[in-house]
Amino acid sequence: MFKFLFKYPWSTFSRGHFVLLGAWPAWMLGLSIVVVSSGLALLIRAKLTPGDVGSRKFRVAGIWLLQSMLAALLLLLLWQPAITTAELKPQQDIIVFLVDDSRSMTLAENGTTRQAQAIAALGAGVLTGVEKRFQTRLYRFDRQAGRIANLKELHGSVPATRIGDSLKQIAAETQELPVGAIVLLTDGADNSGGIDADTIAALRSRHIPVHTVGFGADHATHDVEVDDAVMAPRAMADSRLGGVVRFHQYGYGGRKGKIVVRDGTTILASHEVTLGPDGAAQSDTLLFNVGAAGAKALQFSIEPLPGEESAVNNSVSRIVNVESDKRRVLYLEGEPRWEYKFVRRAEEDDRIVQLVSMLRTTENKIYRQGVQDPKELAEGFPTRAENLFAYQALVIGSVEATYFTAAQRELIREFVDRRGGGLLLLGGRFSLADGGWGVSNLADLLPVVLPDAKGTFHVEPATVELASAGVDNYITRLVDDSAANAKRWKSLPYLMDFQEPGAPKPGATVLADMSAGGKKMPMLTTENFGRGRTAVLATSGTWRWQMNSPVGDSAFTLFWQQLLRWLVTGTPGHVTASVPNQMLLDDGRVALSAEVRGDDYQPAGDARVEAHIIGPGGVSANIEMTPTPDAPGNFQAEWTANTPGSYLTEVIALRGERAVGRDVLTFQRMDGVAENFHTGQNRELLTRLASQTGGRYWRPQDLADLPDEIAFSEAGVTTRETRELWNMPIFLLAMVLLRFTEWLLRRKWGIV
Amino acid sequence: MTFLPRTPVVLLMGLTTGLLAFQSGGFQRRFNPYPAYESAGDSKHEFAWSRLQYTPLGGGGYGGFGGYNRGGFSSWSRDYPKADITFLAALRRLTRIDARSYQQVVDLESDAIFNFPFVYAVQVQSWTFSDQQAARLRDYLLKGGFLMVDDFHGTADWESFLRGMRMVLPTEKYPISDLADGDEIFHVLYDIGQRFQVPGEQYVNTGRTYEKDGYVAKWRAIRDDKGRVIVAICHNMHLGDAWEWADDAQYPEPFASMAFRVGIDYVMYSMTH
Repeated sequence: MFKFLFKYPWSTFSRGHFVLLGAWPAWMLGLSIVVVSSGLALLIRAKLTPGDVGSRKFRVAGIWLLQSMLAALLLLLLWQPAITTAELKPQQDIIVFLVDDSRSMTLAENGTTRQAQAIAALGAGVLTGVEKRFQTRLYRFDRQAGRIANLKELHGSVPATRIGDSLKQIAAETQELPVGAIVLLTDGADNSGGIDADTIAALRSRHIPVHTVGFGADHATHDVEVDDAVMAPRAMADSRLGGVVRFHQYGYGGRKGKIVVRDGTTILASHEVTLGPDGAAQSDTLLFNVGAAGAKALQFSIEPLPGEESAVNNSVSRIVNVESDKRRVLYLEGEPRWEYKFVRRAEEDDRIVQLVSMLRTTENKIYRQGVQDPKELAEGFPTRAENLFAYQALVIGSVEATYFTAAQRELIREFVDRRGGGLLLLGGRFSLADGGWGVSNLADLLPVVLPDAKGTFHVEPATVELASAGVDNYITRLVDDSAANAKRWKSLPYLMDFQEPGAPKPGATVLADMSAGGKKMPMLTTENFGRGRTAVLATSGTWRWQMNSPVGDSAFTLFWQQLLRWLVTGTPGHVTASVPNQMLLDDGRVALSAEVRGDDYQPAGDARVEAHIIGPGGVSANIEMTPTPDAPGNFQAEWTANTPGSYLTEVIALRGERAVGRDVLTFQRMDGVAENFHTGQNRELLTRLASQTGGRYWRPQDLADLPDEIAFSEAGVTTRETRELWNMPIFLLAMVLLRFTEWLLRRKWGIV
Repeated sequence: MTFLPRTPVVLLMGLTTGLLAFQSGGFQRRFNPYPAYESAGDSKHEFAWSRLQYTPLGGGGYGGFGGYNRGGFSSWSRDYPKADITFLAALRRLTRIDARSYQQVVDLESDAIFNFPFVYAVQVQSWTFSDQQAARLRDYLLKGGFLMVDDFHGTADWESFLRGMRMVLPTEKYPISDLADGDEIFHVLYDIGQRFQVPGEQYVNTGRTYEKDGYVAKWRAIRDDKGRVIVAICHNMHLGDAWEWADDAQYPEPFASMAFRVGIDYVMYSMTH
């Protein structure tokens, strides 16, 4: 119908440029239309009488509009409208057919594999139709492209699809050839994360349109797929870790599924979830004990359901480096308190976190516990950065702000801001507002705005409950199930005391609340500050949870161990190494980066940084990392892991011969796994690729038009064609319609 | 007319008056200015000196305060409350502990004891427990509570003390050991190197530092599975009397000083370990 009315196919208009072939300039057309329309308006207005009512004026205006449109159309035809298109030269240009030969193309729908569908589509006259007009080249691709003589060479065995790399390779190989267009037949299940801008730029620079032909259903009918699993890349030994599993399903809405996290064959945690609607993204959090130190590849999966079309996409692996190096927390307490004793007892069970404490037993005596040698802290609270920065976190109990010198207070600020340490302030007689912290220069470190008052500490009972942010938070998670956790908190014995903490600052997170005398206030508030983190626990009475719960109840111990582990977990060492992704799927390229800080945790831009990589099969490499421009203390290096397997990387920073620090990280290359995921047709990718290159997305059943449309291209050797439009049937039809409508309205309204 | 000798008459009158007084509730109860059963809610301070009230051997209840009364031998309140108050005065003056200035009486009949992680018991040769009371005291100690026992002397008292103690903490798992000079409990605040026997007030009249056959002071302890002292045993000594009589000019200062230093170290240890 379109071609009947407009004389040419849609592609002619979509790829062509509209022009006016008449000798007069285009602006005269516009002027003529205005003049004629105005003239018609004057004529019609002259026929109006003063007694004409509003409805008649409206009708007359309608007649004027129809006449003006007809006149404009006639004037347009006088200016000779036409469309120009660039077209490929027959038998001179090359059309490249690029057929996906990866494993996902062997998936069957309605009894026919995607590859068979592609072969059938090309065989149904498309390939021969194109060959009649142009030269053709046939390629297959998976990880890379390769030229083939005929479609029988397709086998669909390689578990990887890299559309971008293959297109780039084709563009490079045909640099000197007049490629007029690329026809890409694929399901779009690309494993490399998409098509990079360089590839698009390479194609666009040569004006090569990519016509994409999509195969495969958009999604399976019965399938559960794990999209991703997110967890911290590092953890301390024996710590509880949270992993967020994202997944979706088709065909099992409302059914129960079981999410499991495994370390090898050992199940670390599992629980049931109710599967949501078809295609809806879901997520669930699993909490588990990460166990002993070492690099671990944990598998997050949803147990296969009966009748699933594919079970291999039900699990993903993620790597976590479980570290066993000791983390030291300095706890300064201004007076003997039961909280101090019970916190120390809770931390004695933690093999990773070591609590080093200073307790003011009398005005002039400090009792130290947990020190490594008699000299440690013998001079009191540290006054030098290297001494304080040796700890990963700082806990300050019932101590006035003025107990510290101005230099020490500044050091505490730097401890959080620059060193990246954790700071926890506890409630008490000399704490928070009562201790003058609100008017000290450290007030901005705190996650709360302390009240401008004294007497905020009360030895009165206070009940506790979780705030909404605390229900799923690692620190406050006493029971794995969220609802049970909230209930558990409500059942905790009341606190022995509380302190009014003021209001939480914007950006702070209240994890738990406490209530006393009908007033509810934050009990535990956390916040990130600089490179570190701060928290206020506005009580010193949590020890009652231990004494007033049954023997063996772990609530108090768990809470404090998790709180202090949170305090130290994010505290970096002198060297922090990282990679963007620890799991390399089919692509071994890895970008190493390292942040190096000196003894005082200032950026160590003058350091010499080396990465030692040990991989499978005796692979070993030493890489000199280079400073990152405009980022002092940051270093980078690129390397390629050619063999699948696990790689251990030790990054060492040196100043002269002296080691500044070291860090260890692990990454893993896995080939053939990514192909199991996102197996539905990626229509969005194919549509975007076609759109960005000037091509078109095709459904297989529409391919009959391809041989004609593919000629419209500005790539290769082209000719420019001009097609006149004045004789399009649509114009004649429009004129007849306008006149007929005018006649009809005149009759109806009685306007002669 | 024959007159009775003056001295025996005076003694007889004194004894009669004393017996009447005891039968009507005891001296200390009558003149005690402190409430007998302070509730947990009364505590507005971090530390409360808690004295354990127990059922004495042969008694049908807790009995009264000090000496004899209708309920039986109220041994748990020996030296009460002056010993407690005097010790608290020293604790408040010499340390940064936010201590209440008067004592707290706790018993094993309710869970209120769990609000007071330090408890002091005397005359423990006479303590008895029901199974429920023993279980509550065991829970108290295993959850982090600290028990200091004092003022029992000699072999018989020791054996009697053990009968109650073993109901709470069985021998096999919780053996009793002697504290050494180097034990941390003697160095938390004061370094107590040379320890000696601290006698009760009877030393003033007799010159003896021991009672019964308790010739040598025994500094002993029961520890939990992590080696922390949870029961401090002061056998063959009477620290409570030393605190009580510290302001008596006739009671030797070295004994009182030792008693205060030991008591403060024990409290400090209980709040740090």
